[in-house]
Amino acid sequence: MPLSFSAIQSKLGKLFLLLTQVSFFCLFAYSCQQLASWLHSPLPGSVIGLAILLLLLCGKVIPEKAVNSGAAWLIGDLLLFFIPPVVAVLKYEDILEQYGVTLISSMLAASCLVLLGTAFTVDRLFNFERRLKLQKQRKRAQLLRAPVKIAPTHTVSGVPL
Amino acid sequence: MNLTLLALLCLALTLGCYYGSKALYRRKQRVWFAPILLAPLLILVTVVVLKIPLTSYFQYTHWLAALLAPATIAFAVPIYRERQLIKQYPITLSIGVIVGLLLGLLTSWLLMQLTTMPTELSNSLMVRSVSTPFAIEATGAFGGIPELTAMLVLLTGIMGMLICEPLFRVANIRSAVAKGIALGASAHGAGAAKASEIGRQEGVIASLTMIFTGIAMVLMAPLFASVIG
Repeated sequence: MPLSFSAIQSKLGKLFLLLTQVSFFCLFAYSCQQLASWLHSPLPGSVIGLAILLLLLCGKVIPEKAVNSGAAWLIGDLLLFFIPPVVAVLKYEDILEQYGVTLISSMLAASCLVLLGTAFTVDRLFNFERRLKLQKQRKRAQLLRAPVKIAPTHTVSGVPL
Repeated sequence: MNLTLLALLCLALTLGCYYGSKALYRRKQRVWFAPILLAPLLILVTVVVLKIPLTSYFQYTHWLAALLAPATIAFAVPIYRERQLIKQYPITLSIGVIVGLLLGLLTSWLLMQLTTMPTELSNSLMVRSVSTPFAIEATGAFGGIPELTAMLVLLTGIMGMLICEPLFRVANIRSAVAKGIALGASAHGAGAAKASEIGRQEGVIASLTMIFTGIAMVLMAPLFASVIG
């Protein structure tokens, strides 16, 4: 099916927007790295950049839609960017051959521990924070001496958690 | 063969394997088609079988790795977008991040004590549970090596993706917040991708947790390293 002219135009427009935004991120990242090395900052430039961008977004200096598509691509295809460092592991082939089995089995056990431990803690904590919120709302309702309907605080944007 | 041509082919191979397996995974949701598993595997096998010199492989592909820093900065956008969610559960999120981070470090330290791996390998393990751009920044503090770290981070992500569902079922973890935080804190980007498959809420929470654990790891790495060291 041949694409209509306007469809091609809008696709090109989107691509141009993406490229501009990604170049902005690259330029910004580079300047932040320069800044970090100039300040002898213990924090890496990328984390400084993250903080600056977040502040600019919160202060409405930069509107969200000006960085949206670039950020979505950079985050969505993050995996692509760390394939080269993974291939570089071939430099350490001999170590990995020798310790591969130990490494994988012990990492598997460790991952189970982290996953379960975190999930358990959060599960308990979440119920606690939810109760705390309900109590606060009840108190406020009593103060107003009116039968206030208690909003289900355990939902975020309407989806039950 | 012409070396520049070879280097260009390596870049094409990397892009092709990545986007190919991404498209394949979108059609057939099978774990072994997941780009995190299939793409690095195909590329590693090709490089080894064809005996491509690593310098040629990196001549152009290192530009891809250079995009890790802008990608880190880009994480500001989802934090900003989900600020309401962060305000709603500040305690759960922050304690979840701290517990996940500490458990990750503690288990790595235990592995270091219990096994007889060479130090460069066990040092690189310390930051394995945070997202690659943060891990590569933080690994130096523990005496880790960026290349080994990148691979261990990848492996951790794959494992988290594979084991999470049976583990959640056995441990009877039902709330989206618990699933999201656990996946984001233990398996970074891969965990966040898996969490998005479970549900939208889980995905958002996992991404936020991944970002915050990453930042916390970079900030705290020198301190943790001095405690362990």
